[in-house]
Amino acid sequence: MYSAVTDNTQQNQGNRTKKSSTDHSLMPPCQATCPLHMDIREYVDLVAQGKIMEALQVIRDDNPFPSICAYVCDYPCEDTCRRCQVDKPVAIRMLKRFAVEFGGDRMIQVKAETTHRERVAIVGSGPAGLSVAYYLRKLGYPVTVFEADSKPGGMLRVGIPEYRLPPKIIDTEIQRLIQMGVEIKVNTRVVSLDRLFDMGYQAVFVAIGAHQGRKLRIPGADLDDTWTAVSFLRNARLKQKGNIGEKVVVLGGGNVAFDCARTARRSGAKEMHIACLEPRDEMLADAPEIEQAEEEGIVIHPSRTFTRIIDKDGHVAGVECLKLRSMEFDKEGKLHLDIIEGSEHSLAADTVIFAIGQCPDLNLFSGLSGLEVTKQGTIVIDQATLSTHHPGIFAGGDVVTGTASVTQALATGREAAFRINDYLQHRYPLAGKEAEENPLGDLFPETVETIRKTERLEPSILPTEARVKSFEAVELVYDWEAATEEARRCLHCGTGAEILFQDKCATCLACLRVCPYHVPYLDDSGTIQIPADQCQACGICVAECPAKAIVLRKPYGRQQISEELDHIVKAAAQLNLKPLIIGFCCQYGLSGTGTLASLRRGAKAGIWIVPVLCAAKVEAEQLLYAFEMGAEGVFVAGCGEQCARENIAFWVRQHVEKVRKTLAQIGLEPERLEAFNLSATDEEPVKALNSFTEKIGELCFASVITQEVKR
Amino acid sequence: MIVSERKPLAEIRRMIAPYQRLLTLGCGTCATVCGAGGEREVSFLNSALRVAQAKSGNETHTLSEYTVKRQCDLEFLDPLVEKVGDIDAILALSCGIGMQVIAERFPDMPVLPGVNTSFMGAVDEYGVWDERCAACGDCRLEETGGICPITRCTKGILNGPCAGTKDGKCEVSKDMDCGWILIYKRLEGLGQLEKMRRYYPPRNFRTIPRPKRIISQANIDTGEDND
Ligand SMILES: Cc1cc2nc3c(=O)[nH]c(=O)nc-3n(C[C@H](O)[C@H](O)[C@H](O)COP(=O)(O)OP(=O)(O)OC[C@H]3O[C@@H](n4cnc5c(N)ncnc54)[C@H](O)[C@@H]3O)c2cc1C
Ligand code: SF4
Ligand code: SF4
Ligand code: SF4
Repeated sequence: MYSAVTDNTQQNQGNRTKKSSTDHSLMPPCQATCPLHMDIREYVDLVAQGKIMEALQVIRDDNPFPSICAYVCDYPCEDTCRRCQVDKPVAIRMLKRFAVEFGGDRMIQVKAETTHRERVAIVGSGPAGLSVAYYLRKLGYPVTVFEADSKPGGMLRVGIPEYRLPPKIIDTEIQRLIQMGVEIKVNTRVVSLDRLFDMGYQAVFVAIGAHQGRKLRIPGADLDDTWTAVSFLRNARLKQKGNIGEKVVVLGGGNVAFDCARTARRSGAKEMHIACLEPRDEMLADAPEIEQAEEEGIVIHPSRTFTRIIDKDGHVAGVECLKLRSMEFDKEGKLHLDIIEGSEHSLAADTVIFAIGQCPDLNLFSGLSGLEVTKQGTIVIDQATLSTHHPGIFAGGDVVTGTASVTQALATGREAAFRINDYLQHRYPLAGKEAEENPLGDLFPETVETIRKTERLEPSILPTEARVKSFEAVELVYDWEAATEEARRCLHCGTGAEILFQDKCATCLACLRVCPYHVPYLDDSGTIQIPADQCQACGICVAECPAKAIVLRKPYGRQQISEELDHIVKAAAQLNLKPLIIGFCCQYGLSGTGTLASLRRGAKAGIWIVPVLCAAKVEAEQLLYAFEMGAEGVFVAGCGEQCARENIAFWVRQHVEKVRKTLAQIGLEPERLEAFNLSATDEEPVKALNSFTEKIGELCFASVITQEVKR
Repeated sequence: MIVSERKPLAEIRRMIAPYQRLLTLGCGTCATVCGAGGEREVSFLNSALRVAQAKSGNETHTLSEYTVKRQCDLEFLDPLVEKVGDIDAILALSCGIGMQVIAERFPDMPVLPGVNTSFMGAVDEYGVWDERCAACGDCRLEETGGICPITRCTKGILNGPCAGTKDGKCEVSKDMDCGWILIYKRLEGLGQLEKMRRYYPPRNFRTIPRPKRIISQANIDTGEDND
């Protein structure tokens, strides 16, 4: 049957970031919500362990341009993060940024070889176009990107302000694409798609985005000093000096409006106002965006509607407004305004920017038959194949969806690359490969109550005075300590306990009794159930189940520890260092990053560390097994004060006590086994460990456990 | 459920000394539930025996392990047929019943008890079991409000409480409830106090100290356990 130390045969020995055959984990909601379905849980956990390079590897597996997402992703994953139910979501985007910067993403080279003859043309070099290029190149196709502008990047380059996305980040990614063999033709506007086929391209991907800004249809909207958001931002980013006045009023309440106002602030405007229909607490922009804008002196005028741009001698002099009691969209999407009588007033301005949305500009393509366009001016595609009605022409990104998001564009690009591959290889599209799995359900209120609340750590941002002076990046990156701490807040959704061997379960109810989160329950038929969406993956029941019927869905527990232990015992046997001391040490937080290594260096004897993901997962048998394999001393080291859970020390000591009792019965000194808290501030870890090793040395002198073990 | 407790290691080592190849055999039912002889305990015990033999340096047992669903039914023992050829004795981690069934099934095979079969009982809290029934063969629970005076009264008297009861506790130990006070309260609750006023003629019992308790978990707070 199943045994503690020999059940590692089917374990994946290689790259631990790859899913092994024993990984039965379920998709957490963060991953399900991410347009790229990134394995967030995995990389966040690796960050928590201080394994930054491995975290970056996981990130790169699913994301062609992680450094860009790290700055500008609109992080829908955080909205569905199950930590929201407990306190605040895990700071997923900023942890990615940390991994990207500290893991050295800039240095990574991506190789691609040409294995196909069919050439693909990509129209537009925004995130959608670049993503298709990346994946088609990896699939072995020669690709050419046509870009109307002088520099590639699309909205990344001409929309999103520099203080949110430094241009050098885009440059690095473009450089990487060029190294992969992607051909990028800038200053090349495509005017006829038919021509591309004439030029020998066998498939075309249209990703021209949505660059046509909209204005309100009110008198004065076409005066000289009025702008659309896209044209204003574009001018600012391309450093073409426009006539930005001193008093700027932006109409609209979304993130783009704030981009405009904050850009105006950095471009020398003296007064910046944002006015919008929505009441203050319903504004569409993200909360940090609003907060930072106000710090920068931007004044917000919520609940307004606009009747006229005031014209003074052909120049803008202000915006005439009415106050709203309320606003509402009806079922048909029609807007109803409840205007406060006699609330007419005006906001003085010499520049007005309309930030009320944008749409694709398809007029560029004249004479192309078969391209179907919606009322909103977006291209119609088949959802399964991403193909337009014209064979060989595919489309994606904002030109299909209207302004969406960068990550959405990257995801469509990746999907499109696979569909274009299907098309060129005359294969039936293997759609649905990325089909949604059922995300985990909500936590029960009872479960929420038992989970320790931890404060979300926000990385710092540039002080206001510094940020308004230039276009320097506003957000700063975590330091090592903050990142590992924040990463530990993840609840490891969907990796929890599973009764793998129902037939072995004796229904002893141990799991039900020990679970700190009250997760296991008896169903009506008297069978024990461990609901996957409630389990917190602490592993306590796994180490207690007397029938060894429970495993963790991700092989974080018994198997991984046994494997590491065997590995270390072998390595130690080769070196034949004595006395052999084995320490099972928690890898999370600082203990995983610095403390452990310095401990090993600092301590006097040869200490071998078995890394574990939580000390409570070390089972009593494994402690004993270490002795069986020749250890003269064994210790378990938890992460101490910073532990994300509450009951760990208790269970570690239970396991330790059980083994100590047995050692005593054998006639060995119980002090050969010790439990430490590595990072507890009042303990000096090196000192504690040294006195432990000295003690073992003395005990060893008195009596050595013979190492020739017959099995 | 039948509650058992692993024998001290020294006793087990003495028992196995004459045999070279041993199969430590777990039971997947009661012995698993009470934490004395499930799959986990089987491998823990074997590991402990190996460490002990490494320490002593002059033993050379070969220890294998297996756990059946239930040792007290012959049918569950079939998978052992092919194993018994390679072993000299079975070290059984099951109650006395299981061990005897094994002995019956394999007449030529020595069976060694790895656990002491302690009592029939129920769980109080995780890792703590209390004796509840003495299998006296003449159940009187109807008269005593569903509380067994034989096991829950230290003296096992049938007409309690005795004069040693104080504040609901037994004179034998302040921590032990007086079984007869429990019975009284329960009958009071049921409105059947007249049952207290009857005389129950004596029966012949072995005098054994009761109730027993096993605490398998180390109690970190009080340091209290069975040793
Ligand atoms: C101001 C602003 C801020 C934003 N901020 C964010 C943010 O913080 N986070 C986020 O996720 N999303 C943000 N978005 C949305 C995001 O930028 C877009 O969803 C995304 O860029 C869409 O990518 P795309 O590749 O479809 O198109 P685009 O990025 O728009 O790229 C299209 C490219 O096609 C080129 N092109 C057009 N016509 C032709 C032609 N005929 N021939 C050749 N080339 C052509 C254009 O020059 C352009 O370079 C923002 C949008 C705006 C406007
Ligand atoms: S707690 Fe972790 S795994 Fe769960 S949704 Fe949030 S980031 Fe994802
Ligand atoms: S602890 Fe193990 S044997 Fe006991 S009920 Fe839970 S799964 Fe079953
Ligand atoms: S792994 Fe932890 S949280 Fe999950 S059921 Fe077991 S004890 Fe409960």
